[in-house]
Amino acid sequence: MTAPILQITDLTKSVPGGRVLFEGLDLRLAAGEFVAIMGESGVGKSTLLNLIAGLDQADQGAISIDGADLAGLDDDRRTLLRRDRVGFVFQAFHVLPHLTLGQNVALPLALQGQRGDRALERAEQMLAAVGLAGRANDYPRQLSGGEMQRVAIARALIHQPGLVLADEPTGNLDPETANRVLEVFARQIRGSGASAVLVTHSEVAAAAADRILILGRNGLVERAA
Amino acid sequence: MSNAPPEQRGLAARWMILGEWRAHPMRVLTAAAAIAIGVALGLAVHLVNASALSEFSKAVSAVNGDAELQVRSTTSLGFDEGLYPKLARTSGVAAVSPVVELEAGTDRPGETVTVLGLDVLRAVVVTPSLIGRPLAAEGGDARGPTMEAAFDESAVFLSPAALVGRAVGQPIELIAGGRRATFRIAGVLPGVGEERRLAVLDIAAAQWRLGTLGRLQRLDLKLSPGVDAARVAGVLQQTLPSDAQLVSPESEERRSDSLSRAYRVNLDMLALMALLTGGFLVYSAQSLSVARRRPQFALLRVLGVRRRALLAQVMAEGIGVGVAGGGVGIALGFGLADGALRLLGGDLGGGYFAGAKPQLVLTPGPALVFLGLGLVTAVVGSLAPAREAARAQPAVALKNAGDSVDPRVTPAIWPAALLLGAGAAAAFAPAVAGVPLLGYASMALLLAGGVAAMPRLARVLLSGLKGRSFGHVAPDLAIKRLWGAPSQAAVALCGVVASTSLMVAMAVMVSSFRGSVEDWLAQVLPADLYVRIESVGTGGGFDPEEQARLASTPGVAGIAFMRTTMLRMSADAPPLALIARPEGGLDAGAPPMIGRTEPAPPGAIAVYVSEPAAWLYGWKVGQRIDLPIGGTPPGAFFVTGIWRDYARQHGAVTLESHDYTALTGDRWRSEASVTLEAGADRQDVAEALEANVPERLAGRVSVAEPATLRDMALRLFDRSFAVTYGLEAIAIVVGLAGVAATISAQTLARTKEFGMLRHLGVTKGQIVAMLATEGALLGAVGGLAGIGLGLAMSQVLIHVVNPQSFHWTMETKPPWGLLFSVGVALVVSAAGTALVAGRRAVSADAVRAVREDW
Amino acid sequence: MGRWLAGVLVLLLVSAAPAAAQAPTYPTVRPGVALRFPADHGAHPDFRTEWWYVTGWLRAEGGEELGFQVTFFRSRPPVEPANPSAFAPKQILFAHAAISDPALGRLMHGQRIARAGFGLAEAATGDMDLSIDDWRLRRTPEGRYVTKVAGDGFLLDLVFAPTQPVLLQGEGGFSRKGPLPGQASHYYSVPQLKASGSVIRNGKAVKVTGAAWLDREWSSTLLDPAAVGWDWVGLNLDDGGALMAFQVRDTAGRALWAGGSLRSRDGTVARFAPSEVKFGSLRSWRSPRTGAVYPIERTVAVRTPQGERRWTLKPLFDDQELDSRASGGPVYWEGAVRTEGGRGYLELTGYASPMKL
Repeated sequence: MTAPILQITDLTKSVPGGRVLFEGLDLRLAAGEFVAIMGESGVGKSTLLNLIAGLDQADQGAISIDGADLAGLDDDRRTLLRRDRVGFVFQAFHVLPHLTLGQNVALPLALQGQRGDRALERAEQMLAAVGLAGRANDYPRQLSGGEMQRVAIARALIHQPGLVLADEPTGNLDPETANRVLEVFARQIRGSGASAVLVTHSEVAAAAADRILILGRNGLVERAA
Repeated sequence: MSNAPPEQRGLAARWMILGEWRAHPMRVLTAAAAIAIGVALGLAVHLVNASALSEFSKAVSAVNGDAELQVRSTTSLGFDEGLYPKLARTSGVAAVSPVVELEAGTDRPGETVTVLGLDVLRAVVVTPSLIGRPLAAEGGDARGPTMEAAFDESAVFLSPAALVGRAVGQPIELIAGGRRATFRIAGVLPGVGEERRLAVLDIAAAQWRLGTLGRLQRLDLKLSPGVDAARVAGVLQQTLPSDAQLVSPESEERRSDSLSRAYRVNLDMLALMALLTGGFLVYSAQSLSVARRRPQFALLRVLGVRRRALLAQVMAEGIGVGVAGGGVGIALGFGLADGALRLLGGDLGGGYFAGAKPQLVLTPGPALVFLGLGLVTAVVGSLAPAREAARAQPAVALKNAGDSVDPRVTPAIWPAALLLGAGAAAAFAPAVAGVPLLGYASMALLLAGGVAAMPRLARVLLSGLKGRSFGHVAPDLAIKRLWGAPSQAAVALCGVVASTSLMVAMAVMVSSFRGSVEDWLAQVLPADLYVRIESVGTGGGFDPEEQARLASTPGVAGIAFMRTTMLRMSADAPPLALIARPEGGLDAGAPPMIGRTEPAPPGAIAVYVSEPAAWLYGWKVGQRIDLPIGGTPPGAFFVTGIWRDYARQHGAVTLESHDYTALTGDRWRSEASVTLEAGADRQDVAEALEANVPERLAGRVSVAEPATLRDMALRLFDRSFAVTYGLEAIAIVVGLAGVAATISAQTLARTKEFGMLRHLGVTKGQIVAMLATEGALLGAVGGLAGIGLGLAMSQVLIHVVNPQSFHWTMETKPPWGLLFSVGVALVVSAAGTALVAGRRAVSADAVRAVREDW
Repeated sequence: MGRWLAGVLVLLLVSAAPAAAQAPTYPTVRPGVALRFPADHGAHPDFRTEWWYVTGWLRAEGGEELGFQVTFFRSRPPVEPANPSAFAPKQILFAHAAISDPALGRLMHGQRIARAGFGLAEAATGDMDLSIDDWRLRRTPEGRYVTKVAGDGFLLDLVFAPTQPVLLQGEGGFSRKGPLPGQASHYYSVPQLKASGSVIRNGKAVKVTGAAWLDREWSSTLLDPAAVGWDWVGLNLDDGGALMAFQVRDTAGRALWAGGSLRSRDGTVARFAPSEVKFGSLRSWRSPRTGAVYPIERTVAVRTPQGERRWTLKPLFDDQELDSRASGGPVYWEGAVRTEGGRGYLELTGYASPMKL
């Protein structure tokens, strides 16, 4: 295996009230690897994703992305790392209502300082790839939930991040739509060569991953496929 | 990428800002409009003031003929002409032009002109702009242009303004010094602009025919080239008698500036207050918009936008609002100023520059300053929301669209207490350069403190209601929501409190002032009839014989004659009014005294000084003072009391008629108050008096009843406050508009919440009722707080700003009716806006609303 | 006599106020009135106009030659005599001073004007004592004339000692100016004054000596209406003699009236009738400022009992034109001239435009 894109060592996190979510969590994610994390509600799946994204602070342990230790970076550097190396897909889509689909998708490139026309051109390609060809100038208001999530997937991958974090991306969708979105998600991940961490309750969704990890108080446990 | 080309870095921010503006144009427009109104008002008031002042100083310098240095008499009676050769021989003085200056009536009723008696041979060196150009007369006896008129004692040269409707060669009557003399218009004064009615004639003719023999009012000086002007001024100062004073163009400028400075600064401040209100509206608009977009900002943070960039984005929005509002405001301000000059005149009705018709002075400087102020206001208004946006934790904000403030945490009160304390302390500070800058600072601090106290205050006011159930869904939900979202409530309240308190403060001050003036008028106008000579001119009036004749008019029980002249205390201050009133002149209207009185010791001349005079010159009861009246030794006058006077902002000194005559030799009187015999008919006596005035003054004497004078005075008062009322009205409208915008924005932002409530089985009607209750509560809390704060601020206006600006005090007389209506208007408009916005919000599809992200 | 000129200036200022009901009455100049000194050195305030006119040549220590004039005028405007004001313009005083410096090539000049009064501007009676502000011309008890006048960039501080008695012009000081008997003035001169003192130009003072000429005239009568100007010359002759000649010109340039006198070294005086004075023109100069053409090099011929005598006048330099239009005055030429065996001053008026009264 090549150098890991994500390396988590001995991670411990408790909630503000003092309850420990998990202790001594370890995870190593190789480039191009796609894992699903499952677990009961409240076990800290989303918190783990936030920790990986540098949006939350662990009590103990180390997280490194692409060899960069998050603990050694200040907020600005973590933000830049996120901007360049990480893509996000949320359960609630979070597509900005007053930007066109093209602008929504092109946002990460715009943030990286790419030229507007080039970014929008690339966004159109991405939209076509997720089945929304020719819709770049539409506004999110006109989309269904599944279409919205496909926009979010295009946004998460447009800047070719090394790592994509997805938090219940199918949670708000009906099973049929969920399947289609999942199919798009997996295809895009595989096609881009990115690694991905998918947090989900859905067995169907988890099945798309290379391996499935169960989050508990003592960290991640691999479930036999 | 951090090494991206810099011009591209703002692309995402630009998309975000433009997207937001496209999505909510009204919100941006309201905020920009608030800034525009503030900028426009500030610029307009400033431009009008600047135009009026430049017009006024042009008029002053027109009369002064741009002399390098002047010696002026302290009273209109002038100084002895023997000073002229004395100054002419002073080393360093190249030339001296002696001048007789007086105000004269003309054959046109009500017209006065400034008459200058000049020695043309001297004036040509010192003040060439005052030299007349002879013109050919129109008509039969036309003559070519000659210099013959230079020493002709019947020739008069008129400024273009005085020449209007007259023609060269025609006669003109001038009435001054108790004389009426006919002159012939010989030509025009080409060096005098349009701004002043001026008549120039030979100095000897002026002395002889207008009754100022042996006296001069002015010496215009030209200094030798290269001499040290300050040294010469120092030497001259030594030689001047007490009734003459050295005046430089600079001191003249200070004088004309101080004439109306307080009034102008007050208007400027009012205009700035409008801008401040605009700032609060920007703040509340931005706060709401930031609160609404909190998850969006969180998303951007997750996608890799740094805190700084987010801060910059919100600030850029503020700057955009500021630039747009400021730009529109500048254009609006120029238009407004132009309109105000046309409709109200240069003094905006303040009565300071009567007769002047100034042109709008367009200068880029003030426009840029006010544009800058608008920008700063918008930026400052955006600062707090921007910081809040940047500080939010993205992971939390992304999930939670609610208030960022934990309802269980009590908002800190100390910043508000600190601001209020500083405000109270500033109220006790003295004026800066005659302007109550710290008084205004005090008001601004009180305002800021009051606004800062709103979150806590809202909590305190609502906590009493929180635990209670009203048995209805709507009020219960409304109270819980206001209590649970304190920062949103506070934001809405900020605008309400800021505009209400300013408005209330102004209203209380004006009503107190008007009430005090009314009381004062009742006190100073006790007589049955008042006789006054219109446009009396210098030195004119009733001579002793005519006074006796008026006194013997049938039906007159008593008549007290008065004389008002001007007394220049110093070169750079507007003159005092010097009032001669009759012995024991209670029937002339006892001045309403403030505080104790003290009888004058033997040998001292007793004077009453008005409250502004006491303020301006630091006089106290029982003090011996100097007045620059010819030949009086130092400390000759004794302050026996201080009286309230709202009529003369620059001060007045009253002395007994016989003292005045003894000091000045002036036996003429220009006003009188009349007590009627029992049973005499007012109207009959008034007519008899009018019939009894000397032929010379026929048609120029008015006999008025106190009620008429009182009404006239109050009309003048209202006129001079017309602009204040106008600015106040605008502040109210801006304030209410802000409240409406805030509430409707908040309401529309909660569409999702309403959808959820609808799902829970709350009816549309209940939601609308809840919103109306919320609005009413907000209005009530804001109104109460605003009125309370406004009352506190009005005390600063009444006890600090007014005394320091205008040197008079007044009693607080709050306009309770108005305050009540303001409160009701606030509650109604807040509830009404919430109602209207709420109907729109609940009309949206409930299911769709729940599904919507933001 | 040319000194009417500035008198005209003043008269322009003050000439008859229209409708001045109580215009003052001016005494007329009559023949046979004996002049008495020093009283007649002083002012004659009743007369309409009067002047004290000193012109001459100065030689600085370094040898350079300068012309100068110092003139005081008094004028009585036709104002209301009853006006009790101390400012009443009962007398107007005007003074003029100029230096002709060939190195400069044009005149340096200055002036003062004021209504008499307050001790600031006075023309004393009884003896000569004139002052306008800081300018002064007076006669000392020893009989010398003293003046101190300053203009822009120059100052004249001069003493004139008489070397000859007063020269009465015309018939015992009664000098006719026109065809009508009333057109006349009281007129005397003091030629061959020994001048000494100092001149400051642009801050540099030099001691000077030289010869000067005092002209005194007072009158109430104006020029003949047909006159447009006049020429006047006064020469101090090297042999001690003194020549004065004038002519009043009409529009055609012909002499309307003329006169003059020649006093020889021995004191005998020849007085000339109008036909006995002839002015001729040798060279003219056009003023670049005003375009006026002045006959600045000319001849003067007079018929004396001993026969005709003739002098050629040559200016110290060409541009001695004085343009006082800025202060309401006329344009004229007044300059130092030299001749065979003498030096003096020539005055040419009415060349730029007719002298209108």
